[in-house]
Amino acid sequence: MESQTIVKIQNLQKKYGQKQVLHGIDLEIKSGQIIGYIGPNGAGKSTTVKILCGLISEFQGNITIFDKDLRTQAIEIKKQVGYIPENAVLYESLTPMEFMEFIGEMRGLGIEQTRDKAEKLMDIFEMKPNLNQRISTFSKGMRQKVMICSALLHNPDLIFMDEPLSGLDANSVIMVKEMLVHLAREGKTVFYSSHIMDVVEKISDRIILIDQGKVIADGSFVELNKLANDENLEKMFTRLTGNTNHGEKAEAFINAFEK
Amino acid sequence: MGADYNQFIRILRLKLTIDDRRIKGLGKNQQKATQNMLLKQSFTQIFLGIFFSTFLMLIKSAFTFYFFAHMFVMIMMAMMIISEFTTILFDTSDNVIIQPLPIKGNTQSLARNAHVFVYLTLIAFNISVISIITAIVKFGFLSGLIFMFTILANVLFTLFLANTLYLVIMRLASGEHLKNVLMYFQIVIAIIFMAAYQFGVNMVDRSKIQDMILPVHWYTYLVPPAFFSGLTEAFSSMIFDIQHLIFIAEGLILPIIAIYVTGKYLTPVFNRKLMDLEQGDRVSKVKNIQNKRNYWFRFTSKFFVRNAEERSAYQMMWRMTGRERLFKQSFFPSIGYIIIMIIVPFFKKSFDLDELVQGDMYLLILYAFLIVAATLSGSMLIGNNQHAVWIFRTLPVQSPAVYFKGFIKAAFIRFFVPIYGFLGIILCCLWGIRILPDILIALMSIYLITLLFYYNNRPTFPFASEKIATQGGSSAIKFFMIMAIAVAIGFLHKILIHWFTMANLLLIPVYILTIFWVNKKYVFKKITWDQVDKENNYS
Repeated sequence: MESQTIVKIQNLQKKYGQKQVLHGIDLEIKSGQIIGYIGPNGAGKSTTVKILCGLISEFQGNITIFDKDLRTQAIEIKKQVGYIPENAVLYESLTPMEFMEFIGEMRGLGIEQTRDKAEKLMDIFEMKPNLNQRISTFSKGMRQKVMICSALLHNPDLIFMDEPLSGLDANSVIMVKEMLVHLAREGKTVFYSSHIMDVVEKISDRIILIDQGKVIADGSFVELNKLANDENLEKMFTRLTGNTNHGEKAEAFINAFEK
Repeated sequence: MGADYNQFIRILRLKLTIDDRRIKGLGKNQQKATQNMLLKQSFTQIFLGIFFSTFLMLIKSAFTFYFFAHMFVMIMMAMMIISEFTTILFDTSDNVIIQPLPIKGNTQSLARNAHVFVYLTLIAFNISVISIITAIVKFGFLSGLIFMFTILANVLFTLFLANTLYLVIMRLASGEHLKNVLMYFQIVIAIIFMAAYQFGVNMVDRSKIQDMILPVHWYTYLVPPAFFSGLTEAFSSMIFDIQHLIFIAEGLILPIIAIYVTGKYLTPVFNRKLMDLEQGDRVSKVKNIQNKRNYWFRFTSKFFVRNAEERSAYQMMWRMTGRERLFKQSFFPSIGYIIIMIIVPFFKKSFDLDELVQGDMYLLILYAFLIVAATLSGSMLIGNNQHAVWIFRTLPVQSPAVYFKGFIKAAFIRFFVPIYGFLGIILCCLWGIRILPDILIALMSIYLITLLFYYNNRPTFPFASEKIATQGGSSAIKFFMIMAIAVAIGFLHKILIHWFTMANLLLIPVYILTIFWVNKKYVFKKITWDQVDKENNYS
């Protein structure tokens, strides 16, 4: 299958009040890839994802997704996109089935099709018995599973994930990682924003590192590693973001609370 | 009382700082609205005090004056605790931060009570400021000063009563069930207070207020406002007979005992129960929700909702209105108030049913439901789902108006129409079937006004606004404008009835066309993504 450019970002800038969060990001993303989007806290990862999902509509620069302009054709783009946010805050008085019925119908799926898909997806996470229980009684991991199922309900071609594994148990983490690889093989594109370096290293075809709103590294782990031969992504991350003195910092920290 | 003073002060300061920051942390529009709202609330409370003081000014007897003044404070405090401060008393959100710390005994619970006490004292003095001035003018400076002191004692005592009452309720229920019991308890109490006020106002013979002197019977010593009024009268008039000595003892000792009992015994039990309640949510038996076939929903969703997107918003709202406690707590009392306002005149001595059914009093009753139009749109906003609204923005929906149309239709049809229909049947029994077109016309006009209220509110997604920030300063002007339209519509209806037979039917096509226009054109102009993005936070 030939890869096509499905996301094109040109000079993306974003300001919150006086604070410039994104300083002109340029990216091209091809189909069938898992993109690991990493960076330190406050680097602008979540802001980028929210802009691409249409949650933030005020930004500078140009973005086209599936050859459609995000500013003028957001609705058409949203039909092909799934989004899993970092904190799965859902309407707590609804049940997962009711929540997914809402999502499904809004996305133009029939009620029976939505119910059938919801049951199958939740069953994979062993949550079929919880389908008709209120979300308010769920743990963080269970909510995250509902979120993942809801985002994939309409079989999107592009999936944005912001720390999707947050709160999941070990088995579910392995399952989601496997699922992402399968989705990419089917030609879907996954934009995976995370802090968990070993997961990003293992699953990503391409890693984009941003710091202070700028892309500072872009390529596969092997390509990036050619430059400095780091042991793993974590080491590369700390080197590129200029934080190599962790040992000294840890010592200073211990000294601070022991004295 | 098993508390650490320094820790107590730190926790209280933290709570007050968080309250202050909570307002500053809201969106720009909500922040402004909240600050305006706090100011507006203070003015409303002072205004309420002025209104009540006009009644107090007439009373000559100091004991009677202070008795009513304290009764007013006590009722207002009880209503405030029940409607506004229950959430603070039951708030366990800071447990995760405070409980791992070495906090001594009851410190945290006492700080929680003190937190409520701070606000109640502020409100008590807002509503009493004019009464205090009146007392100083009528009975002297010392009397006014003692009155101020007894107001504080009154607030403390009322807080003690609320704690006791909540403990009794907590004994009867637990977990989710307790939250529901509390909600219905709050609704019932709010309606009872309203009923007591309405019946009270109608029962008091105003010509005798001036010389009214409350007699002191054995049971007067058991009535809390009497403790404080007896105490104030004793010191301001320097009367220390056995009757006043009992009041002094009660007024001084009971609040002290109340503080001690609350701190030493009630608070620890309350705290234990509260922790059970928090844990209970996780471990209590989780129920499966069965969505039974609801013919009313199916019929209305087919008949009143045209496209699939609007239908799913309609269904979502239908489900949530039945489950959101804050919505029920805010909306149900307004229906109760209207029913009370309607039935009170029936209990007047001068009431004559035969005479009543000759006239067009039914129009007034029908249009009284316009109050619901105002409260429904406000109640739909209140809730704790601020962080769940992002989902609406990620879906491929061209105009957010589609959501809002579905929301208001569901709330109106699910809650308002059945109650209105029931009332309509009763009115038909009294006035006859001839008033059926009027019932339909009034329903259409109330629906139209409801739509106007809702579409003119700030476009916040349902159940996602702080209670305090639901209405801003500009919405007060809109409220009066729409109410003016509502009154005009009611009068037009009345005039048409008396013009010529069936003239009122002319209103039916006018309303149908107007509602159609509002839902097809007006809503899409009023509610755009730009405005919705300004009012909602998707992070």
